Amino acid sequence: MAEDRPSSSDASRLEDGKKVYRQYCASCHGIQGEGMPNWEGQNALGELPAPPHGPEGHTWKHSDAMLYRIIAEGWRDPWNKTDRLTMPAYQEILAPTEIRDVVNYLKTLWTQEQRRHQADESEQAPFPESSVATPE
Amino acid sequence: MYNIKSRFLRVFLLAGLVAVSLGSTSTALATEEGLLSLHYDVTGKRLFKIEANQLFQRTDEGMAWNAIPLPEDVTEGQLLAVSVPYTDSQTLYIAGTSIGVQRSTDNGETWQELSANLPSREVTALTVHRRQDETLYAVIAENGIYQSEDAGNTWKKMDSGPSQKVNRLVHSDMEGSMQTGWLYAVSDDAVRLSMDCFCGWRPTGELDAGSVYDVAYSLDNPKRVYVATQQGLWRSETGGQEWQQVTGDGTVLVALTLSPKGTLYGLNQKGELLHSEDEGQSWAYPDA
Repeated sequence: MAEDRPSSSDASRLEDGKKVYRQYCASCHGIQGEGMPNWEGQNALGELPAPPHGPEGHTWKHSDAMLYRIIAEGWRDPWNKTDRLTMPAYQEILAPTEIRDVVNYLKTLWTQEQRRHQADESEQAPFPESSVATPE
Repeated sequence: MYNIKSRFLRVFLLAGLVAVSLGSTSTALATEEGLLSLHYDVTGKRLFKIEANQLFQRTDEGMAWNAIPLPEDVTEGQLLAVSVPYTDSQTLYIAGTSIGVQRSTDNGETWQELSANLPSREVTALTVHRRQDETLYAVIAENGIYQSEDAGNTWKKMDSGPSQKVNRLVHSDMEGSMQTGWLYAVSDDAVRLSMDCFCGWRPTGELDAGSVYDVAYSLDNPKRVYVATQQGLWRSETGGQEWQQVTGDGTVLVALTLSPKGTLYGLNQKGELLHSEDEGQSWAYPDA
């Protein structure tokens, strides 16, 4: 997917990922993945505002396995002084294939070099088997 | 690699320098703070000290610092960092400006340069991962932070790093990271912290303490962190979220490390070793 034109089924899954992103993720991370203002610093409650998903962010530094886990299980920053998770968990809302689709959609927002870096990181830490879509 | 003759000559010269140095500690001049470094080797139960561009070791039981032979080209640069893997006491890594990163797998008998695919040899800080012996992090001046996952053979740029110059880098296995741990970066003005996935640097708690020199954490309780500053020692029980000044005897340390037993070791500006058994409140010379 990184360099080549996606196949029609891949393109369809990317569209699915984009729809999931716009429905569940965009309200915090921005419709274009631009993130919240001042995302680089903690706010007064110790929370980290939602980061951007584009080249200026750091999503591309994480492996497929980690991105999947963060979306599925959520994540709590240890400096967060609120009762909220820093990143909410979506495993009760999204199917495994939907989580995978949305991660693959995020990859379209990165530079080629970032996609290459992330692919290297994912070699040892791929998506879980449960998220692999069964061929139709 | 050295040939035997040159290695013998170098060891002989270094031994002479150590003897001179140990014999004149009372008249030693103050050393520039950033050029002193201290590191505790958990497996080997020994301390490493960098002073005057040399590397010394000293065991828990021993009283003297013994010089470790270094590559000849170290004299062309400035030795700044030493780090050892958690479970392999024969392997040493050193780094510095115009030195790059170098590794010895025989406790200093021979050295191998590891800077082939680093952008330069201007390394200002180096640390080994707390739990992964072959994972290293090196700070390249005016470039960023590089990671190796194969004991330094290959490197990959991970981050541009804090905008401030990083003098020390320490990996911690404190919980709460998205990845495997955290990195503390010490600059003159502050200690900064990032998860080791490099999702951004955050300043640690407010430290109104002048220049910041070094950071160390408790291996048993990584949330307990100490920082050595121009105005003495500060401690955090929250991984650096907040700092409290340690009320003690006013000792100023420019390098700091911690043994698994909880003994704090520090170097003063003269490069003299001190230790504290009461969490930094009082300091004494171990030789005394």
